Amino acid sequence: MNKTLSRRDFLKLGAASAGMVVIGQMLPPLVVRAARENGTLSASGDGIISTMCEMCVWRCGVLAKVKDGRVVKLEGNPEHPHSRGNLCPRGQSGLMNTYDPDRVLTPLIRVGNRGEGKFRKATWEEALDLTASKMLEIKNKYGAEAMVFSSTHNLSQVQFENLLYAFGSPNYGTQRSLCFNAMIVANLMTYGMEEPARIYDDKLAYILLTGRNLLEAISTSETSDLSHAIDRGAKVVYLDPRYTKTASKATEWLPVKPGNDLAFHLALLNIIIDEKLYNASFVEKNTLGFDEVRKEVSRYTPAWAAPLTGIPAETIVRVAREFAAAAPHALAHNGWRTSNFVNSFHTQRAITILNAIVGNWGVTMTEADGEESGTLGKPAQPAYPRVSALRLDGVPWKYPVVPFKLGVFQELRDNIVTGDPYQAHGWFISRQNPVMSLPDRGRTLEAFAKMDFIATVDIIMNDTAWFSDVVLPEASYLERYDPLLPVGDRVFIRQPVIEPQGEAKSALWIYKQLGERLGLGDFFQYADDEDYLRQQLVPLGISLEEVKSKGYAELKETPHAGETLEKSWSTPSGKIELYSETLAKVGFPGVPTWEEPPQPEPSEFYLLTGKVAQSTQFGTQNNQLLNKYSDEPRLWMNTKTAGELDLADGDWVEASSSVGKIHTRLLVTQAIRPDCVYMTPGYGHISKGLTTAYGVGASDSVVHVTFTDPISGGQALSQTFVTVKKA
Amino acid sequence: MKLNLRVTENLRRLPITRGMWVMITLMAFAAISAFVRYAYGIGAISDLSNAYPWAFWISFDLYCGVALGAGAFTIVATVEILDLKEFRPLLRPSVLTGLLGYIMVVIALLVDLGQPVRIWHLMVYQNYTSILFEVGICVMLYTTVLLIEFSPVLLEGFKLNKVAHTIHKYSWPFIILGVVLSTLHQSSLGSMLIIEPYKLHPLWWTSLLPLLFFVSAVNVGLGMIILESSLSSSAFGQGLETHLLKKLAKADVYVLLIYLALKFGDLAWSGELNLLFTSGLMSVLFWGEIIIGALIPIALFTRRAVRESPKGLLIGSIFVVVGLMFNRFNASWFAIKHADPLSYVPAFMSHVTYFPTLPEISVSIGIVSAGVLAFTLAAKYLPLFEHGEQAHSGD
Amino acid sequence: MIEIKHKAYLFDATRCIDCRACMVACSVENNIPTDKTRIWLAGIGIKGEYPELERATMVAHCMHCEHPDCMSACPVGAYTKRADGPVLYNPDVCIGCRYCMNACAFGVPHFDYDKGIIAGAFIDKCTMCPQRIDVGEEPACVATCPTDALEFGEREELIALAHTRIQAHPGRYIDHVYGEFEKGGTSYLILSHVPFKELGLPDLGSDPINKITEGLMEETIPFALGWAGVLSAITVGVRAFKKKETMQEEQPAAQETESEK
Repeated sequence: MNKTLSRRDFLKLGAASAGMVVIGQMLPPLVVRAARENGTLSASGDGIISTMCEMCVWRCGVLAKVKDGRVVKLEGNPEHPHSRGNLCPRGQSGLMNTYDPDRVLTPLIRVGNRGEGKFRKATWEEALDLTASKMLEIKNKYGAEAMVFSSTHNLSQVQFENLLYAFGSPNYGTQRSLCFNAMIVANLMTYGMEEPARIYDDKLAYILLTGRNLLEAISTSETSDLSHAIDRGAKVVYLDPRYTKTASKATEWLPVKPGNDLAFHLALLNIIIDEKLYNASFVEKNTLGFDEVRKEVSRYTPAWAAPLTGIPAETIVRVAREFAAAAPHALAHNGWRTSNFVNSFHTQRAITILNAIVGNWGVTMTEADGEESGTLGKPAQPAYPRVSALRLDGVPWKYPVVPFKLGVFQELRDNIVTGDPYQAHGWFISRQNPVMSLPDRGRTLEAFAKMDFIATVDIIMNDTAWFSDVVLPEASYLERYDPLLPVGDRVFIRQPVIEPQGEAKSALWIYKQLGERLGLGDFFQYADDEDYLRQQLVPLGISLEEVKSKGYAELKETPHAGETLEKSWSTPSGKIELYSETLAKVGFPGVPTWEEPPQPEPSEFYLLTGKVAQSTQFGTQNNQLLNKYSDEPRLWMNTKTAGELDLADGDWVEASSSVGKIHTRLLVTQAIRPDCVYMTPGYGHISKGLTTAYGVGASDSVVHVTFTDPISGGQALSQTFVTVKKA
Repeated sequence: MKLNLRVTENLRRLPITRGMWVMITLMAFAAISAFVRYAYGIGAISDLSNAYPWAFWISFDLYCGVALGAGAFTIVATVEILDLKEFRPLLRPSVLTGLLGYIMVVIALLVDLGQPVRIWHLMVYQNYTSILFEVGICVMLYTTVLLIEFSPVLLEGFKLNKVAHTIHKYSWPFIILGVVLSTLHQSSLGSMLIIEPYKLHPLWWTSLLPLLFFVSAVNVGLGMIILESSLSSSAFGQGLETHLLKKLAKADVYVLLIYLALKFGDLAWSGELNLLFTSGLMSVLFWGEIIIGALIPIALFTRRAVRESPKGLLIGSIFVVVGLMFNRFNASWFAIKHADPLSYVPAFMSHVTYFPTLPEISVSIGIVSAGVLAFTLAAKYLPLFEHGEQAHSGD
Repeated sequence: MIEIKHKAYLFDATRCIDCRACMVACSVENNIPTDKTRIWLAGIGIKGEYPELERATMVAHCMHCEHPDCMSACPVGAYTKRADGPVLYNPDVCIGCRYCMNACAFGVPHFDYDKGIIAGAFIDKCTMCPQRIDVGEEPACVATCPTDALEFGEREELIALAHTRIQAHPGRYIDHVYGEFEKGGTSYLILSHVPFKELGLPDLGSDPINKITEGLMEETIPFALGWAGVLSAITVGVRAFKKKETMQEEQPAAQETESEK
């Protein structure tokens, strides 16, 4: 029986492993020579260095205080638009990630069986040589496509993709299909862009949130914006089966039945169109397909939606009217994936259409600044080899409208197991944890077993590294350069605050070293990290030293968001496509359509997943600072339901789905629908190299069933149903 | 083998009774607990926490310990100030009880204080707004005074009678000082609770706390004299001075009546009489201490038959002492509102309950055992129950 | 930068999203060990019955009272209140008696129950980050708060701001700024949407709590001297009275014997 720790053990584990840990005193201090020469640090190693956080995807600007060559405090950079001088709890805890006693600081080569955790230390030479030789072996024997590449999008992504394309494999897997495929594809279909930017100004009066627990899934500046909007008196209507902290601040919390957010939004469209509350002139001038939408939603009345959603018809009508009345100072927030069901794609489409027809464009939403480093330079390189092999993740042959850069990660994993249409043999993973992130962990480990070779780049022995053959230690974000990133009209730098500890190296260095050994040196024409950045800065005519000391540089030509005189969207028609021909062409509904979501049996529960402010995905549970202020991970169950099942708060329970079962402690609470249970993802680590996190809580990936939306390729994480009984 | 036999033979030859061995064993447990406390912290042997910074040790060792030593100043005032010479036979044992009691308090504090090595800080770093500072200084000074008052007994034990006589001749200022110091610190232990008006239940909290504590100290002083005499007479085969004790018992009735008048008068004055029966557990605790510590002793000691019987005196004094201890435990622990069971983060802040651990209690029991042992040794080897030179000197 | 004469915090419970960035920031800034904290979350959490629910929590740390009871109660004077606001603790004089923990109405001082006498068992509590405020920065908790639930500034200005905010949003707040007058005022001011008790705050009057005890202490010496005088008078008086009585008894006897002579 796989019993997870009791609360007492949970505390003891944290305390024991912390011992008398004092921040920043874990490892010997080393001084950043360059920063000293630059004058940013004094001779004794004191000073402030500007860099960027990497504790989540928001990448707030950070001012790192250095004393005696150690990072002692992180502050939000007031100059950075994502932080504005604040940092969330994960941002504040960042130096504990760097000084985590469990850091992997030398390359490791496996000696035992996979999953035993037996590694030996190796030199970079040996580890890189081994990795390259294995990758070439696979390439020569089975073709480049037999090598799978995975990363979590981050600042060094551009060089990761460089490696991927140069190697010639089409197989790229990333967590996006576990997150926001539905949202991106919907926006692409409607607006021709991945995600519009949202504008929170003083006039914003009405916000409709579908999931997107912004006050717990913190994106510092946007969380701040939402909070200030609420403070000012803006109305927030929030759909979530769970009473989250966002629910507690929202003006109205609607505990929607999971999977039925779609019905709610279709009914909103029904009312707004039927009662002619939409912005007719805007629709006329800028959109396409209004009639098709009107025809489709005419049957989705509030009375129809009420029993499906569990929200009274009067409420739906009222929200529709309030939303339209507040427009254009209203915002229907796309979130990441709304209810996380297969039908969420249609929900996302409905939300984009909702914003469009009331004319919010240009007021509360506008074109976002790209994350592409378009205005920056890059090293010269030859053309990439042509890739003719099919992608293992079914794009586009099974998923015709999923963009290549999103992919369908869970499909990739499944086809590694089935070997269909061909067998993959190797996996190069950088800064990602598929063992924890992909649904159905058992199946992921099956996929690992099919691999001849697995190499992982990470800063710590996370669960994927635990099952790898080679672990390459990356320097943490406080120890490395990453490619420059434009944010708004500035380009911000990530630069080392301290020298990398042990043998850790930046991804820029690792990819280049690997690339050279793979015979792809021409694609990595930079001498070192600083040289790369200098080449990026060439078009701007600014020196690297200037950027390092200031923390950013102004861009010369600024693609200002929303300043275009002519409204135009990058859709095939150039207009906002309420009806998408692109979708219709390949046989998908061109307008959002009702798709009945599956329901659990009376003895089953919806298994919800969500976010907490004290962790990010699967990578921060080992951070002792966050661990100290985290709630114990437990399975939430409604008080009444628990009473009916004769379960009490703190009981050990077993939750089982069709693919796995977990043991965890129960939290009996009023804050969740009676037909749902919830667990915070990211716990239940199986790597013993994570001494703080190992054995704490249970993993949702063990019980998650793989359901893929055929349109967007998004994984429906909340479509898993579980039974719960006393353990 | 030979060595072992000799050791055990020698041990058997020592005049240590079985009872004394029990005391020594209890002291040993206390010493071990104390050692662990010094090595690993207070939390290693007790259930004290941030929610319960004071509990068993302070209530028992400090509050009860000081109160139960009140017999000393009561008998000194009776004999030396009010010049009621007939009570002189009770003087020495009561002074010793007091002295041992105060020494036990100091030893207990050396375990309870976070920095016992720094106990001398009270003499150098002084905060004149702190009631605890006053208590600390008074206890230090008074223990010295008690030592001086008791020194003649020690000196006579070592046959230094002349020195003993000299000390006694010039002990007047110390006698006055002793009573003043006792008044101050017995009442200040009550004053210490005044700073917790929102934590201590209104049935106990009042600005009259110092007066109430002083009056109840006089009461338990009388009770302790009676109790100690009763126990000593059966333990050491001394005769019981019933003719003296019955007068003390009668006096105690008046003291208790004054106490009740003050207590209930104050509640009436503050408009809190309605809380007497409507405060749930607090009402039970309140009436418990009043009934056990005041009403029953009054009922017993107003009856001559009880006052004049050794058994009656013993039982009555037990009620007085137990009732007073109940009061001290209530005022310093049970009636104090500790942290509410709110939702706390981090998790280690959620420990808001308390129950004394065995090692924790063993420390107090061991200290009390040491006191009893010391008293027994004094009874055996010192002229504790003699009247000594004082019988004929003084005027 | 405008110099702040009397520093204070303003906490707005409606803005706090319980993210705990403040707590992590404080731990890092002040090098707090993993099993200790100077700042914590209190409150009843979620109240009500599904789906009529409400949430009430508060970030709690030292209130930096105007009339600190810890300072009044500490026998060795380990606490001081700086003129500009912070109540500071000096571990060098502390004897670990923990009276301050009883005296504090808010349960602020925390103690090292896990340290023996060699490591030293001391109190720990929020210091208002003097190392930051003395160089013009805000305390670590305030600086990082993403929703401005924690604000810092001049006490009187914050009180005015708080009242303005209450008036600007009728029905949102309890019409009271906690800490404005409680026990003579504190430098941690709180705005709340629920009764303050539900945030874990005690219901206090506006008189400083230590008024009575400090008054008692002031009377100690005069009382002691007076009481000593009374006792001395009694001692002498009782004996004089008795002597007079015995003399009176002896006199007639003496007269008798004399007359017998």
